[in-house]
Amino acid sequence: MVRPFAIKGRKRKKREDNYDREDIEELTKEEAAGTEETLDEDKESGTHELAGIPIQPFDQGTKTGAIFILEKASLEVAKVGKTYQLLNSDDHANFLRRNSKNPADYRPDIAHQAILAILDSPLNKAGRMRALYVKTEKGVLFEVKPHVRIPRTYKRFSGIMLQLLQKLNITAVGKREKLLRVIKNPVTQYLPLNSRKIGFSFSSQKLVDIRDYVASVNDDLNFVFVVGAMAHGKIENDYVDDFISISGYPLSAAGCIGRICGGLEQKWNIL
Amino acid sequence: MAKKSDATKNSSASSNDKKKKKNKKNKPGGPTAVAMKQPRAPKPNPFETIWSRRKFDVLGKKRKGEEQRIGLARSIAIRKATSYSLPFQLLQAVSKFCLKSRIGEQNDELGEFDKAILRSQRERQLKLNKKSKYNLSDGEEDEFDNQNGLQGRDDFEDEVPFDEEDDVEDPDTEKKSSILKQLNGTDALNALKSGFIEGEENRHKTKKEVMEEIISKSKYFKAEKAKEKEENEQLVDELDKNFTSLVESRALLSLTQPDKMNALKALVNKSISSENVKKDIAIVPQNIDTLQQDKPDSYDKLVKEMGLDMRAHPSERTKTPEEIAQDEKERLEQLEKQRTYFRMLAADDSSDEDENAYEVVAQRPKSISGDDLGDSFSLDEERRTKRNWIEQILKRKIKNDGGSEHEMSSEDPESDEDDGDEEGTDEDSDEDDKTNSLKDWEQSDDDNVGTDLEGDEGGEEEDGGDEEMEPKRSKKGGLIGPIVHPEKTKGNGKMPSSQPGELPYVIAAPKSLEELSALFENRSDSQIVEAIRRIRTCNAISIAAENRKKMQMFYGVLLQFFAVTANKRPLNFKLLNLLVKPLMEMSREIPYFAAICARQRLLRTRTQFCEDVKNPEKSCWPSLKTLLLLRLWSMIFPCSDFRHAVMTPAVLLMCEYLMRCPIMSGRDIALGSFLCSMVLSVTKQSRKFCSEAITFIHTLLMAAMYRKPGRIQDSQQWHHFMEIKTPSPLLCIHTCVKEISPLDFFKLMDMPEDSPFFSSDNFRASTLASVIETLRGFVNACEGFSSFPEIFSPISKLLPELAEQEHMPYALRDNIRDVFQLIEKKVQEHHMLRRPLQMRKQKPVPIKLLNPKFEENFVKGRDYDPNRERAEMKKLKKRVRQEARGATRELRKDNHFLSARKEKEKAQLEEERAEKYGKAKAFLQEQEHAFKSGQLGKSKKRSR
Repeated sequence: MVRPFAIKGRKRKKREDNYDREDIEELTKEEAAGTEETLDEDKESGTHELAGIPIQPFDQGTKTGAIFILEKASLEVAKVGKTYQLLNSDDHANFLRRNSKNPADYRPDIAHQAILAILDSPLNKAGRMRALYVKTEKGVLFEVKPHVRIPRTYKRFSGIMLQLLQKLNITAVGKREKLLRVIKNPVTQYLPLNSRKIGFSFSSQKLVDIRDYVASVNDDLNFVFVVGAMAHGKIENDYVDDFISISGYPLSAAGCIGRICGGLEQKWNIL
Repeated sequence: MAKKSDATKNSSASSNDKKKKKNKKNKPGGPTAVAMKQPRAPKPNPFETIWSRRKFDVLGKKRKGEEQRIGLARSIAIRKATSYSLPFQLLQAVSKFCLKSRIGEQNDELGEFDKAILRSQRERQLKLNKKSKYNLSDGEEDEFDNQNGLQGRDDFEDEVPFDEEDDVEDPDTEKKSSILKQLNGTDALNALKSGFIEGEENRHKTKKEVMEEIISKSKYFKAEKAKEKEENEQLVDELDKNFTSLVESRALLSLTQPDKMNALKALVNKSISSENVKKDIAIVPQNIDTLQQDKPDSYDKLVKEMGLDMRAHPSERTKTPEEIAQDEKERLEQLEKQRTYFRMLAADDSSDEDENAYEVVAQRPKSISGDDLGDSFSLDEERRTKRNWIEQILKRKIKNDGGSEHEMSSEDPESDEDDGDEEGTDEDSDEDDKTNSLKDWEQSDDDNVGTDLEGDEGGEEEDGGDEEMEPKRSKKGGLIGPIVHPEKTKGNGKMPSSQPGELPYVIAAPKSLEELSALFENRSDSQIVEAIRRIRTCNAISIAAENRKKMQMFYGVLLQFFAVTANKRPLNFKLLNLLVKPLMEMSREIPYFAAICARQRLLRTRTQFCEDVKNPEKSCWPSLKTLLLLRLWSMIFPCSDFRHAVMTPAVLLMCEYLMRCPIMSGRDIALGSFLCSMVLSVTKQSRKFCSEAITFIHTLLMAAMYRKPGRIQDSQQWHHFMEIKTPSPLLCIHTCVKEISPLDFFKLMDMPEDSPFFSSDNFRASTLASVIETLRGFVNACEGFSSFPEIFSPISKLLPELAEQEHMPYALRDNIRDVFQLIEKKVQEHHMLRRPLQMRKQKPVPIKLLNPKFEENFVKGRDYDPNRERAEMKKLKKRVRQEARGATRELRKDNHFLSARKEKEKAQLEEERAEKYGKAKAFLQEQEHAFKSGQLGKSKKRSR
């Protein structure tokens, strides 16, 4: 019953990746075609219509993007009673105290807000957000595809996280595409080579205006933003090129992400 | 691996043994030596030192038994297994002989006899015991053991079979857990039960409690109420006492009026008398005395008066329109009767009968007016006082007899003034009021239209009339009708058959124009109107069904009469105005017929116009009749409809006139501008856009331009896809005009085409003024269109040039500038509101979002397939796979173990054999050595 070598093709695991890629490629092709068409139309119309109204450029495939990494997200599953639940400080304070943990450290809502802030930003809507990685306090790394519609209510979010952390992936409705999946550490293996990795920390001495900072970075570099999604503490990792702080005040994760997105949108003229 | 190493160890150990044996020959034989060697502690297995633990510790998960050394466990298990399986192996090795399992076989203490006894006992017992019929167990020995306290059983029988070695602990724990579970279950059950019972009790309790609570509450409230009541009573009593004491005191008596005091005292007495009579006996007589002495005060008077007042009576119910119409008719019939009667009575007064009619008309409006409020009353009163007012009229007639003629003649300037000022003086008879109101109504409508041409005709007539109209008539007929007809009648003399001024009260609806003209001949305008009213009253549709037919016919005839009147050369405009009201009312009664009439007439006019246009010599501009009819229809039918059976073709016709008729003369210009204003009035409400009218205005403005002869190319240009034929500068003002006097359209219409007035600068200026006003109206009407700037751009270009022209009167110039500014302002507003084309701007397309699929309460390992059967099958398959995997694992383990054992045995055998071989060989070698050496060693002994 052994599979003959190299007859059935590659293993399914590897193929699945390919599926995704093909899909993406098809999509990009379609988009490219669409843009070409529109451009053609524009050209045609431009010949006999009013000149002076600028045509919006629309090609996203070749451009650089931004990658977000949420570090130290407190997404932890525990067996509370008989069921597994995502720990949070409100519902499981007693449970956590019983297990001699500090309830103040269990704040999955921070990660929720941060993820929503990233995925709801015009930056993401414009397709310039390339990927989102979340690393939990426990060291579990998972990837969130940019086109996921993350549930807005906390309860549903906790449901999805619970399932993700136990099943290790979440598929789309009616599709086999994996929208969220747990991946292997370290995160650096997924980052593009020409990327600038920027860490954010209130404790950093380098206080900059994010707009200026982002504008000063070369256009051919991808951005990797490493933001902490924890209640207290500081992100520690070695792959960050530059630690900056973008406000004189300690910011929430979502607020910080909002600023970052704003800066990038200004840089890339996304309205 | 471990086993293998063991094996190798063993082998090495055996080789060591060999060496030792060589050294020490006294040691016991090989197998035993091996057995003794083995228990010596083997080298520590490195795998045993490895701890395995879970990568992620999950809070709340049980951690007991989680951390373990799998290598160690395995080696332990193997050791155990070997220890268990050794006897088996031995047994297997000696499987040839049978195992004696009879009772007491192994017991050496018992003698043979005892054994036999025991065995027979056992047999008997078995036979006796019926229950054990099918009992095939061989637990007999145990029983015996227990009975006799016999011991020395074999170890292996107690031991758990080798296969179960791994699960030794598990079942226990499972049992425990199951027991625990049961316990828990029972606990839970108990808890549940108790909870349930408690719950029930609770419910019971609460019900009872609730009831009790309710009862207690109601009781409490009742008590409260009672208490309050008592308190209130007490307070009232107290107050009464206080009051009585106050009343009795002199101070109050001095302050208040005596009579009121009495009342007060009476009041107090009543209350007091009920309580304590004795006390008051003294006071009461005093009070009575005072009461008798007092006079009734004003309040009492009022009350008494009220008793005398009339009570309100129910009035008659409001009458339905049919009943009102019926009443009217009856009244008219009665009046007719009376009229004939009076004529018989007083034949000498007949000459003033028309005057009488006038008076009647004057009295009428109250009852006529459609508003029913108070109608019934007035009618009743009229009925009641009919006799009286007729007499009054008669008296008045006699009074007016002498001066009637004079009054009539003196009326005309007044009426003129009325028309001019629109605010007539009321010193005249009621008739004037009536006409005035009519006029006002008309006028107000005209004001709405906003056309200066029509509105200003009153003031225009003075200067218009003095040119050529002299021979015909100095004053306009339409406005002073009342005078004209009497004069006419006077001029013609008296009509032969019936007295001309007298109007019968009951008039049959005329069926043809002849009848109508016969009826209306030699009648004053007001009489005509009154006649129409009477006809309508007598033949009201609401009275009889066949009247509808009559009225329709009458309407057609009346419309024809209107047209004929409009076509008459001395235009009786007042009569026309008066005719409008009945026409409108009637067309409201018979809308369908009115629409048909209008459409037919429009159709005819259109065909005629089409023919006229073909003939270049003949002027194809519409006649005054057509214009007036169009105006009438625009008043009768709603202009605000998007599509109307009459108004739409009417507007189209007007536009066609404006577009197709060539402008040849000043008269054409006047006509066209009038049409323009009419189009404006019609389209203003419905917000329709008539490009023809605006183009026409544009043309007129171009005509007003002073043009150098060189610029011919301007004379013809395309605008709004319509050719603008610039006429010769008909409106160009060459000389200074002092004042701009409003035009009278009807007088203009009366003038011949080639009259010099049309080429006068006065006419030009006033026409321009009116055109500018119309343009302003159009600007206001069109401001909602998004194409407003484009519509008015050519005109707005033209306007400043026009304003800059020399000889342009200042007022006109200001007007033009105003309109220009208005247009510019609106254009700017429109430009402000205009957005650049949105089509070209590409909306950024957001990435397509996908919804993740997740379960509400996710439990790991549960299948969330909505198809139950499939899920079930999956589960079963998984189970099977798991089982199969477990089985193979077990088998594999066993095999490993057995093979290891076999290998060991083999190795052992090999060793033994080798040993034997070695021994034998050694012996042989020794012998050979001895032989070869010539029996040096032993032979020496032997030989010795």
